[in-house]
Amino acid sequence: MNTPQLVIPYVSADYAALVPTFVVAVTALVVIVADLLTPKKMRRAANVAVGIIGLIAAGVLALQGWGHPIAAFGGAFVNGGFAIVFQEIVIVAAVFSLLMSYALGREDQSGGAIALMLWSASGAMLMAGAANLMTVFLGIELLSLALYCLCAMSSRPGARESALKYLILSSTASGFLLYGMALLFGATGSVALSAFANPPASSALFDIGAGMFLIGICFKLSLVPFHVWTPDVYEGAPLPVTAFMSVVTKAGTLAVLARFAYAALPSPHGAAIMLPVWIVAALSMIVGNVAALAQTDLKRLLAYSGIAQLGYIVASLAGTTAFGLRYAIFYLGAYTFMNLGAFAVVALLSRDRDEGSQLTSFNGLGYRQPILAGAMTFFLLSLAGLPPTAGFTGKILILASAVNAGFVWLAALLVVGTAISVYAYFKIVRAMYAQTTGAPIRRAVVPASALPWACVALCAVATLVLGFYPIVPSDVLPLVK
Amino acid sequence: MIAALVVVPILAGLALYLVPRSAEHLAKWIAVAIAFGAFALAISQYGAPDESLRWLSRPFAANFHVGLGKGPSFWIVLLLTLSTGCALMVTRVPRARDFIAQMLVLLGAMTGVFIARDLLLFALFWDLMLIPVFITLVAWSPTKSNATAWKYLVYNLVGGLALLLATAAYGIVQGTTDVIGVDPKSLATISDTWALWICLGFGFAFFIKTPVWPLHTWMPDTYADLPAPMVAIVSAVQSKAGLYGFIVIGLALFPGVMHAIAPVAFVLGLIALVYGALAALVQDDIKRVVAYSSLSHLGLIILAIFSFSPIAIGGAVVYIVAHGLFSAGLFMTVGEIELREDTRLLSRLGGLGGRNPKLAGGLTIVALAALGLPGLCGFAGEILILTGLYRAGFVWQTVVALVPVVIAAAYMLRVFQGVMHGPEHDDLPEREDLSLLEGLALAPLVIAIVLLGINPGPVTHLDTFTRSVAAASAQSTLAILKK
Repeated sequence: MNTPQLVIPYVSADYAALVPTFVVAVTALVVIVADLLTPKKMRRAANVAVGIIGLIAAGVLALQGWGHPIAAFGGAFVNGGFAIVFQEIVIVAAVFSLLMSYALGREDQSGGAIALMLWSASGAMLMAGAANLMTVFLGIELLSLALYCLCAMSSRPGARESALKYLILSSTASGFLLYGMALLFGATGSVALSAFANPPASSALFDIGAGMFLIGICFKLSLVPFHVWTPDVYEGAPLPVTAFMSVVTKAGTLAVLARFAYAALPSPHGAAIMLPVWIVAALSMIVGNVAALAQTDLKRLLAYSGIAQLGYIVASLAGTTAFGLRYAIFYLGAYTFMNLGAFAVVALLSRDRDEGSQLTSFNGLGYRQPILAGAMTFFLLSLAGLPPTAGFTGKILILASAVNAGFVWLAALLVVGTAISVYAYFKIVRAMYAQTTGAPIRRAVVPASALPWACVALCAVATLVLGFYPIVPSDVLPLVK
Repeated sequence: MIAALVVVPILAGLALYLVPRSAEHLAKWIAVAIAFGAFALAISQYGAPDESLRWLSRPFAANFHVGLGKGPSFWIVLLLTLSTGCALMVTRVPRARDFIAQMLVLLGAMTGVFIARDLLLFALFWDLMLIPVFITLVAWSPTKSNATAWKYLVYNLVGGLALLLATAAYGIVQGTTDVIGVDPKSLATISDTWALWICLGFGFAFFIKTPVWPLHTWMPDTYADLPAPMVAIVSAVQSKAGLYGFIVIGLALFPGVMHAIAPVAFVLGLIALVYGALAALVQDDIKRVVAYSSLSHLGLIILAIFSFSPIAIGGAVVYIVAHGLFSAGLFMTVGEIELREDTRLLSRLGGLGGRNPKLAGGLTIVALAALGLPGLCGFAGEILILTGLYRAGFVWQTVVALVPVVIAAAYMLRVFQGVMHGPEHDDLPEREDLSLLEGLALAPLVIAIVLLGINPGPVTHLDTFTRSVAAASAQSTLAILKK
C-alpha cells in the first residue's frame, strides 16, 4: 500500500505557478555573472538591460496564468487574477526603478545592487500569491533583507543611518508579525489563511494574533501611527531604491493585507477585527498629508505623501466589498505610475552625489525645462487627485466604493486629507513656475543616461490613459484553498 | 465636433510650448485664431445633437457626454470664446508665449464645464479650470509671497472636493452621473437625506465659486493680481460656473432641497448684493471696484435663481451673459488704463479723457452697461430679474435689490470721473490712445453689449430643458405655498 501522506503531491503545475517569481530571482544571478563578464565601460548598461529583459519576460510569463487560477503547493501559493495583478505592478515598478538606477551604488557595485533589487522584487511577487503564513513571512523577509542592503548602498552620509534604522524598525515589525502568526496558528491549528474563516469558539487568542499580525502589516505599509521610520529611510536611501520601496513593498504588503481581510476572516467577526485598520487608514490620510505640508525635501515629501496614498488605498478596502478591492488595485496601479513618474523627474535633476530632491532645485524649472516641469505638474496633479489624471479617476472610484460600503465618514476624511495635500503638492508647482528672483537657479543636470526620460514619458502616458480609460481588473477576488 | 471645443484649445495650449519663446506674435495669433475659430464652431453647432463616449460603467455609469443645446450652455460658450479671443488680442505681458498657453488651457477647461452633460465630467473640468489660473497667479503675480494664489487655490479646491464627494455619492445613489440636461422626471427619486447632503456639497462649491459673502475673500485679491486678459475671462465666465451649476444641477436635480435652502441663499445673495456695492464705492484700486461690483451683480443672479420664478431665471441667463460681456470689457479697459499710466489707483489717476478719447469712449460704454443703462445688456438682465422677483411675491427683497442697482451708478461714474476727468497728473507717463488693434479687440464686446441690450430675446428663449426646470421649480413653489 502506498502511504499517501509521504508522497509529495506536487506536480509541475505547482512549479509553473512560481515560474515568474523564479525568473526574476534567476535574472538576479544572471546579472551578477554578466557584471563579471562585461567590460567596465558598459557594465552598468548591460546590468540594467539584463535586469529589464528578465523582468519583462517574467511579466509576460505571469500573464499566461490569467484565467487559470491554481492553488499551488497545497494552497501555500495561490496563483490567480489577484496575484497576477500585484505581480505585474511589482514588475512595472522594478522596471522603472531600474530605468532610474544610474545613481544606484558605485559603478563597481551596480551588479550587486541590481541583483538585490530583483531579489527584493521576487519577494514581493511571492507575497502577491502567498496564501499561508509561512509563504507570507518568506516573501516579506526576502523583500526586506535585500532592501536593508540596498538602503546602505550609497556613499552619502545618511545612507548607513537610514539602513540601520530600517533594519531595526522593520525587524521589530517582523517580530510582531511572527508573534501574531504564532498566536493565529495556536488558535486555529493551521497556517493556511483559508482555515481561519472558522476559528474555534474561544477566539480571544485569535483576535490577539490577528491584531499583532495586522500591526506588523501596518508597519510595513507605513500607516500612521506606525509610519515614523518612513521619511528618514526614504531620505537616506539612494533615489532609485526609495522609488522602488515606495511601490514594491507597499504592493506586496497590500496583497497580504487584502487576502487576509477578504479571505481569512469570518464575516461578522472580521468586520470588528478590521475596523481598527480602517481607522488607521483614516489617520494616515490626515497625518500623512499634514506632515507633508512642512517638507522641503522631495523624498521626505513623497514619503509622507505615500503614507497618505496608502491610507486612500486601504480605505478603499473598507467594508471588504468586491468593488473596493478592484478600486484599491486600480488606485495602486495609478499610484505606481504617478509616484514613479515624480521620482523619475527628481532623478533627472540629480547628479551622482547630489540628488536634486531639495525643493529649491525645482525653482524656475517651468522656464528652464518646460516639458519636464509640465510632466512633474501632471504627476503632482495626479497625486493630489486632480484631473485629468489617473489619480482623479482613482479617487472618485475610492470615494464611490467607500460610500457604497457605508463608510461615508471615511470618504469625508479622504476629501479632507486631499484638501490638505493640495498645499504640499502645489508647493512644488509654485516653485517651478514662480518668478524666482533671490535664490540662484541651478542648471538642470541631465544625468549620464537618458533612461529616466523614458520613465517619465511612460509614466505620464500611463497616468493620462488610466485617467480616461480606467482598466479595472476583473476577477481579482483573492482565492484561498 | 462639440468635443473639439474642449480638446483643441487644451492641446494647442500645450503645443504652444514648442513655439520658440521669441515668437510671441505667432503664439498670440495662433491663439486668437483658435478662440475665434471656437466661437464660429460653437455657432455652427447651435442645437447640434450631444456627443457621448463611455467612461465608467461601474460602480456607476459615467460618460464623456458633451452638448451645447440651445440654452445657457450655448450662450455662455459664445461669451467665453468671444471674450477670450478679444482678451488674447491685447495680451501684453512678459513671457507672453507661456501666458497665452495658459489662456488656451483655461479656455478649453472652462468650455468643458459648460458643455459637460455628465456630473463627473463637470467635476473634472471644474477642478481642471483652477490649474491655469493658479499657475498664472504664481508666475505673473506682482507679489512674491503668492498669498493670493494660495487663497484662490485653497478656497476653490475645497469647493471642488466637496463637489467631487457629492458627485461620487450621487453616482452611487442614482447609478449614473449622466444626468445634466436629462428630464428630471425620468430620474429615480433619491431619499431626502441623500438629496440634502449631496445638494449641500454641490451648493457649497457653487457658493464659493460665485462667490457669495462670506466665502468671497479670495475673489478681490485674485482679480487684482491676475493679468488683465485672464481676469477678463475669469470674471466673465469662470465666476458663472457656480450660477450655471445652480440652474442645471441644483434646480433640475434637487428642487426640494433648493427650496429648503432658499431662505439662506436669499440672505447670502442680498448681503453680497449690498456689501459688494458698498465696498465697490470705497475702493481706490479700480480693478477692485470692478471685482466688488461683480460680487454685487452676481448676488442679484443668486436671488433670481432662488426665487424659482421662470421670468427671473430667464433673466438670470441673460444677466449671466450680460455681466460676462461688460465685466470682460471693464477689465480689458482697466488693463489698458494700467498699461498707459502704470497705476490703477483712483487717487493717482485723472484727466485721461482729454488725451485718450477712444479709451474714454470704450470705458463709457462698458461702464454704462454695468450700471444698467436701458438699451445696453445690463438693463435687459436686471429688469427681467427684478420683474420676476416682484411677480413671484418677493416684494421687500425686490426693493432691497433695487438699492445696489442705484449704487452701481455711483461707483461706475466715480471710476469714470476719477480716471477720465479732472486735472491731469503731471507725474504720470503720457502714452498713446487706443491703437487700432486695441480698438478692434473691444469692438466685438461693445457690439454684443448693444445687441443683447436691444434684443435679449434669443437668450431668454430658454431651451426645453431649462424651461422645464424653471416650470418644475415654480410648480414646487406652489406646492410648498399650498402646504
